[in-house]
Amino acid sequence: MGIRVDALKCTGCMACEMACGYHRDDAFALLSSCIVAYRTREKKDYFGVILKEEESLVIARPEGVEVRKIGAAGESGGDSSAKPMLLRESCDLCSGMDAGPMCVRFCPVDAIILE
Amino acid sequence: MAAFSGYPRIGIYTGGGSSHSWLWFADLFERLGFWDLCFLDEAAVRQGALEHVDVLAVSGGDTFALAGALGCEGAGAVRRFVERGGIYFGSCAGAYLPMPSSKLPLNLFNFVDVRIANLASKIPPALRLREKFYTRYGCRYVFHPVREEILLGLKSKELLSSSSTIKAPLYGGPAMLPGEAVKVIASYKGFTEKTVFLTEEETCRITLIDKAAVVRCPLGDGCFYLFGPHLEHPRYPEANRIVGEILAVETGTRLPDGEEQSQTTAEPGLRIRSFNSALRRELGNARIVAAAMEFLNVRWIIGAKCYEPEKLRVFIEAMWRRLPLVEKNIATSENAEQLLSLGARTTHLLRELKTAVDEGRESDRLASNLFRVLRDYTACFLHLYFQTIKSLETVCRGKTGRLNHGLA
Amino acid sequence: MEYLSSGKILIVDLASSETREEELDEGLISKRIGGAGINNYLYNSYKDYDPIVLGAGILTGTLYPASDLSVLTARSPVTDNVCHCPVTLKAGIEFKYCGFDYLVVLGASAKPVFLWIHDGVADISDGSGVWGKDVWQTTDAWRRDMGDDLIQTLVIGKAGETGSDLAQVSVNYWGSGDVWGFASIFGKKRLKGIAMRGMGLLEIEDPEGFVEESMRLLESVKTGPWKGRSGLYDLLVSLGKNDVADWVAPLVHRNSASYNVPYAGNTFVYLDEDPSLLKEPQGAEPGLLLTSPYGLIAAKDMGLSAMDACRLIRSCLRYGIDPEMVALIASRDAKKRREDIESSMDSLERKGMKPWRPPFSPMVPRQPVFADFGVEGEPGQLEQWWLQRQALAYVFGIDPLFLIMSPELTAQSMIEAVRIGSGIEISEETLDGLVSEICGCN
Repeated sequence: MGIRVDALKCTGCMACEMACGYHRDDAFALLSSCIVAYRTREKKDYFGVILKEEESLVIARPEGVEVRKIGAAGESGGDSSAKPMLLRESCDLCSGMDAGPMCVRFCPVDAIILE
Repeated sequence: MAAFSGYPRIGIYTGGGSSHSWLWFADLFERLGFWDLCFLDEAAVRQGALEHVDVLAVSGGDTFALAGALGCEGAGAVRRFVERGGIYFGSCAGAYLPMPSSKLPLNLFNFVDVRIANLASKIPPALRLREKFYTRYGCRYVFHPVREEILLGLKSKELLSSSSTIKAPLYGGPAMLPGEAVKVIASYKGFTEKTVFLTEEETCRITLIDKAAVVRCPLGDGCFYLFGPHLEHPRYPEANRIVGEILAVETGTRLPDGEEQSQTTAEPGLRIRSFNSALRRELGNARIVAAAMEFLNVRWIIGAKCYEPEKLRVFIEAMWRRLPLVEKNIATSENAEQLLSLGARTTHLLRELKTAVDEGRESDRLASNLFRVLRDYTACFLHLYFQTIKSLETVCRGKTGRLNHGLA
Repeated sequence: MEYLSSGKILIVDLASSETREEELDEGLISKRIGGAGINNYLYNSYKDYDPIVLGAGILTGTLYPASDLSVLTARSPVTDNVCHCPVTLKAGIEFKYCGFDYLVVLGASAKPVFLWIHDGVADISDGSGVWGKDVWQTTDAWRRDMGDDLIQTLVIGKAGETGSDLAQVSVNYWGSGDVWGFASIFGKKRLKGIAMRGMGLLEIEDPEGFVEESMRLLESVKTGPWKGRSGLYDLLVSLGKNDVADWVAPLVHRNSASYNVPYAGNTFVYLDEDPSLLKEPQGAEPGLLLTSPYGLIAAKDMGLSAMDACRLIRSCLRYGIDPEMVALIASRDAKKRREDIESSMDSLERKGMKPWRPPFSPMVPRQPVFADFGVEGEPGQLEQWWLQRQALAYVFGIDPLFLIMSPELTAQSMIEAVRIGSGIEISEETLDGLVSEICGCN
């Protein structure tokens, strides 16, 4: 079972990021989330979602979803990153929360689903 | 101060060759309640700072660079420190450092009778993380068969009260072949589902399993404790406990409970408030850039080590989560000016580095400079932090886990 | 104030270059809740110093649906009324996480400055390097200089600097609902803008209760008629402007939402790239984000092509001027060519154009969108309904567009969320009184 992100459905609202932050911090905050709305290319309208899983980094972009194995060699010849998002815990599918993964529950457009 | 007088004074090496992992030692000692900490760079070690500490902790990094930075004087200082009864904790690169070597400048540090097991004339095939897989060692190679989590079997029952098997992370530390006088505290026992194999599993097994992972090597009145895995890693409390127990046994102290209650009553004066505000401003500025760099697809080769941008945040967050307590400081710090200057320099370099990366320019040299400044900045900050803890006799232990802490 | 808040009000005096903080008293929240409610209070407290007040709603930046809003309050040089400009996209929550709930800017600086707010720290910084730059250049410069592309800005362009009453404060690059010339107040204060980065944390009194209630509300909201609709296209269609929707549709790239807003009400159009492109474009500035339908409607009425209309709007955004007013004035003056309008922006005058008098921005349609609120028909009822929905949005910090789409988000649900999240009880009488005051705040 895992999280799947449809980048083209995503509207970049950040609800997933805040919901995940709540799961981590029991408060509203963004810096601990393992799911992050990628939004640094604002003038280009290029946005998506990055999810840190136990063994991989899932990068959901308009052109498709790329899964980078943590520690595996990437296109550049090196590893994608030895410890990506070092200070953020990997996704645990919100273990311990009755409602299931919070990012799924709070996505208003069902761009994030559990499968 | 009386509450701390019975506990050892611990020096953490932060100088040339060290990576970010010395912060884990600082975190660990803080959690264990050993708050009499100081932070020593190579110059401090060479100039006799070890005469005033009971324990020296040297964590990960680049072993050649460590040896090069400390040099002949530093080596002599470390030797004299242990011979007069000091305890040396070496983790990862800090563990390789005192092992026998014929290569300059490592041969200045031939203090223990322990050989490296993960040494080969011909490197096995790398499955992943090639740049982290091996380091040249003369005409041979020190190679790192696995990374991340491994299982350790504990051997020293009289020293350790913990369970017989613990987990700990391995990031390039040694598998060790001990000489006769060396006591094995723990050996590599197996792998877990989180172990990342950098070469074929059979090679990993042959190289690691049943080799020493933690050893005690006496020298004069003191001893070296060498940790292959990072027992001080913040996410491995069982491994942390081993370090605490060793420390308590070797220094004849009990593990402090670390549950001091706040006795703060005084409010900082105007001058201190102004300093606090400046400190928060600079640290906040730096934290913003470091967080912005978290997802950049770049790595820097500094010496023989590979650094990712995430490590910048590790330093900054180590300070940020401690900031609220530092802001309670009511006394003028003797290193206030230096701290603010290092803060401003860090922010400046971070911004410069971010621009260079954004523009696709070469940035290794900038990053190298930045990590050096950041190390000094963090050490200087932690110095003030532990001074503050001692002066306030308080600790915010329950609140230090949140990355965002510091604003509320 | 412990929960859903950083508990601080920042006072910045540009005349003396000093900043200070005040505690946000829980009693004040009980009486005036937040957002425009407290903004009005702060405005009146400092009205002799020509204040600009920026305030977050009590629910801003939480998981309550559509909680994206902060509010900019000042006395309009156009209407001489105190008005409230919505601060949406991600800027509304960025402010709340900066460590202050409210910011009051007093007086005028002798030289150009900007405010840099983060981590509970506020700096009055030298703005001479960006004075004279347009909105886009300024936002770019701040993001580059401070090293973070997530910095959110409230910024003025040349129109604001020169005191045009058509000038508009811009959220990042994309304009705003400012139709009252707030940007010219910034200009008079020599304040180029406010740069914000919020990396803080908001505690919740009953975290589980608050999140469960928010989740319940979202589930209910998600069954609404907005579901399956998106962007300005569907908004235009709902307003009966199918012709405008179809006219601009070929340029549409993607729709996006403000923070935690279920409806993706913002539409990006590509002018210099293929709108069907689904990868990062080569060009740095391929188009623009449209956050309101009204500039488009007015530009189409001028007879411009969709491409020219969007280029004109982009020029307005860069210059920091209200695109709808520019198009209306151009129509009035019978200017037909985009280039002519662009070259005359510094001389455009409102002359005789009726200003917008209500205290809330007209960027939100004055009628229910998609949903049925049961208000059509009765004379005056629609206007009253709109004002009340907007007042709720501006007080609690909820997206004002989404509030005219979602009857599920009631005043009672907001009061309940505040109670669970902060422990503060707000009576319906208090809220009613506040809403009346704000709606009639002239």
